[in-house]
Amino acid sequence: MKLSRREFMTLAGGSTVGAVIFTACGVPADELLVEAPLDLPEDLVTGIDSWFATTDDSGLGVIVRVMEGRAKKIAGNPDYPINVGKHAVHSDFALQALYHPDRVEGPMRRRSAGQPLVPISWDEASDLLAQWMTDADGNLAVVTNPIRGGDARIAGDVASAFNGRLMFFDPLEQGVLHQAVKTVFNQNRIPEFDIANAHTVLSFGCDWLGTWLSPVRYSTKYGDFRGGDHRGFMMHAESRMSITAAAADQWLTVKPGYEGDLAISIASVIVKEKLVPDANISAYTANIPQGELDNWAPELVADRIGVSVERINDAARKFAGEGPSIAFGGGSAGAQTNGVFNLTAVYALNILAGTVGKAGGIQFNPAGSQDLPDSATGASFEVWEEELSQWRAGNVKTVILRGADLVHGLPRSVDAGGALDNVDNVVAFTSVLDESSTHANLILPENSYLENWGLDVPEPAPGYEVVGIRQPVVNAPLDGETKARLYDSRNFLDTLIQAAGSRVPVNSVKEFVEDTVADIFSAGRGSVTAGDARLFMNGVLQRGGWWDVNATETTGSPSNISSPIAKAAGPGLSEIEVGVEGHVFTLVPFAHQSLLDGRNASTPWAQATPDPITTVAWSTWAEINFDKAKEMGISEGQWIKVRTTVGEITVQAYPHPGISPDVIAIPIGQGHKEEIGGRYAEDRGENVLNILVDKKESETGALAWAATRAVVSKSGGKKEFPKFEGDAKDIIRPAEHGVPILIVEPGQTAHEAEEHNHELHLRFISNDE
Amino acid sequence: MVTAAERVSSHKWGMVVDVDRCTGCQACVMACQAENNIPLSTEDIYRQKRTFAWIRVERYWYGDFPDVKARFIPIMCQHCENAPCEPVCPVFATYHNTEGMNVQIYNRCVGTRYCANGCPYNVRFFNYWEPVWPVSLRNQLNPDVTVRSRGIMEKCSFCVQRIRRGVREAARDGHDLQDGDIGTACTDACPTNALVFGDYNDENSRVSIMAKDDRKYTLLDALNTDPNVLYLAQVDATGGAIGGHD
Repeated sequence: MKLSRREFMTLAGGSTVGAVIFTACGVPADELLVEAPLDLPEDLVTGIDSWFATTDDSGLGVIVRVMEGRAKKIAGNPDYPINVGKHAVHSDFALQALYHPDRVEGPMRRRSAGQPLVPISWDEASDLLAQWMTDADGNLAVVTNPIRGGDARIAGDVASAFNGRLMFFDPLEQGVLHQAVKTVFNQNRIPEFDIANAHTVLSFGCDWLGTWLSPVRYSTKYGDFRGGDHRGFMMHAESRMSITAAAADQWLTVKPGYEGDLAISIASVIVKEKLVPDANISAYTANIPQGELDNWAPELVADRIGVSVERINDAARKFAGEGPSIAFGGGSAGAQTNGVFNLTAVYALNILAGTVGKAGGIQFNPAGSQDLPDSATGASFEVWEEELSQWRAGNVKTVILRGADLVHGLPRSVDAGGALDNVDNVVAFTSVLDESSTHANLILPENSYLENWGLDVPEPAPGYEVVGIRQPVVNAPLDGETKARLYDSRNFLDTLIQAAGSRVPVNSVKEFVEDTVADIFSAGRGSVTAGDARLFMNGVLQRGGWWDVNATETTGSPSNISSPIAKAAGPGLSEIEVGVEGHVFTLVPFAHQSLLDGRNASTPWAQATPDPITTVAWSTWAEINFDKAKEMGISEGQWIKVRTTVGEITVQAYPHPGISPDVIAIPIGQGHKEEIGGRYAEDRGENVLNILVDKKESETGALAWAATRAVVSKSGGKKEFPKFEGDAKDIIRPAEHGVPILIVEPGQTAHEAEEHNHELHLRFISNDE
Repeated sequence: MVTAAERVSSHKWGMVVDVDRCTGCQACVMACQAENNIPLSTEDIYRQKRTFAWIRVERYWYGDFPDVKARFIPIMCQHCENAPCEPVCPVFATYHNTEGMNVQIYNRCVGTRYCANGCPYNVRFFNYWEPVWPVSLRNQLNPDVTVRSRGIMEKCSFCVQRIRRGVREAARDGHDLQDGDIGTACTDACPTNALVFGDYNDENSRVSIMAKDDRKYTLLDALNTDPNVLYLAQVDATGGAIGGHD
């Protein structure tokens, strides 16, 4: 007897009939299984899903579940070497960016300053773009987020075809890191950190498990580091407790700008106590004058850098102890006036550990396949100051912006908006309006990466050649009533190619991808084998890319190790205003776990994801040391003014114990003005980047974004945070130690720890102690 | 004791959470939201303390500056064998199935919320409002998962739609299910492999092996709920110097 569910419900509607059915059929065990709608015929959604491999904007390999032309889920590509099937918190945000209700629907033009944007056709927009690029021959700037591989090659070719320049913008650019890697290892690209095979990890300033460089890749390595046969030991130096600091076995609360001093102090202990082989010490000290390291003895630097003598000694002994050991750094450690010194000192520790080029240490990456650009970082702040001065002077005729929100991401002092206003033609490719696009006179709706062809060379690579292929997996959805496309966007690079016409050697991004893959096929090596180029292309698309684990040859090995103390300098923090009432802090901005630098702010999922440390969502907060806040009379949710010599923002305070007392930390990503960033981001929170003082790293000219001092004072009133904390903690309060997070010492069983905790609890409630 | 599930089913699904690997990155939380059509927790909903999170990552502070640690633990429905939520449901909308899962039948739920009151883990969520998405965002909704309406209780389903799909595809292709064939959205996403899903009835599965780890414990063990979600304790390699045992 086979009944559909609807038929069953109809029959069962009469109690007598229902009783008969139950009596006759019984209730088979399978009926007790809760059925997903997929198994219920009357609810079944017709269609078959497909999974397509592609590469996302952050360099991860992803697979996208597509059903009836709609993207439903994004997951990590199990084949792709960078993330081996895993993905980041922000990976799924691309679905909401794709179907965002405030996506720019079509091209728009502003005919004169102050006038509103009006819709125009793509034909008109394309002609206008081509005209403006031609008019600007020699005076064209194409500005994008850092891109690599074929994307960078095409964009660069287009800019060059008009004697213009391709510039990258990244508010938290990695130029200082690149310079340090070049100085210590003579490498032009960021190396691979073999965290999985290390026993001891010592990191400085970078939230490598959260937001820095390639956090998904590093997290997969971290899992192996923690879960292998031999649990590794991790130390992390940072002034604020990021999730990386939280994961560390030992948090070193170094003051901002003193990371280099800490690294050299650790080295001084290792050298003095001869904790590593003589050859390593000789290599490290080759260019250090005799006795110089003694100036960094823990007793001499501890007070200055904020880490105790005991902690420095302990860190040195652990780092030099059971190996292999690896040291790396970046983030706020490099975002100082002495950033190159800090990071040079950090990376030089690997020479002392003797793990450069070895398992569990620093491993260099080969050049990008097919001579494609394999490394990208934003231009330095100094370069941007010069560039914006040219715009302001009217020396640049056309600026093309894509993924580069200069107005939101640069300090207020450079007035990026004002500079854009002095450029004749500003073209902004965007899917949701951002701050910079409000200064544009031509808005062109841009595809999501899910709709694009593209070719990426991931950085950092995993130690061998990798090419990531991007392919369109969906089309624009149609309006339910009019059947018109909800938005009419195009690939940024294809639009540029079309505008450049015969000036560039390619006709489309797809053609470039196919040609490059054909070249790879002719090399006859790597992860895909096929009988002909067409099958090879299919194989590459199915895997989301191509890689060759044997292509590991690198160039530029260090021949002469420079002295890590040659560039020693203290941090040059900004001045503070005289006469302003309040307490002085070092202001440390940090990338938001889900919004990152603000690129994800338009999506509701990104806004609603609670910050791991504070659990706050939908807003901007300022992290301040719990005891310091108490001293200042500041409680959670209190509005406080954070004032620098450049400006002031008012945000809510979140006091907690995981931050140095002289530091105030504020996440980047919010602060979009009214009608900017879409309905979920507009008029929400504050943009801390705008009040940074324009201090520069002394060697690279990069923005020293962690070198601003601020005066903090109470403002009026307080307001409860939209935060997750408090939803559950009142229910699952620790009934006794170890509930819910049970902590064991190495070798201790859970049962032993529970017994011990219970004993402590019994003593506590009987007031024995 | 042999449970009812073990008697009648070839599968006993469960999860092991290695707290020592969890970094609190929220990838599991977001993957779950996208997979299971979970209503958006707007700013207003946050303020009302009615956020939806079938899986959440709780953060606990241990110690004081500078000897302080933030520790994270992912918490989802524990799929208890002795689930306090099940006997209190007057309409049998929540019950224990034959595969070790605590399941929720949406179209049977009448919204008494007794189950949420009974759950000691606070992992059940009530739809006080009809979930609303802008029209264009509905393109993303997963057609395998019912969108719950106002007045309905919901919770982690162990991504039952993925289990059903995996079982069906294995039968179609004529092979037995292998460990790792089925992953929940959260376990698939977790970059550190802190979350592992599998079949306890397969003695070679990763969850079965991890369940024998000396660090294994269950949440609120004293309540004897017998969860199918097991935890592996966090290791403090500093010997308690950061407040872990104080």
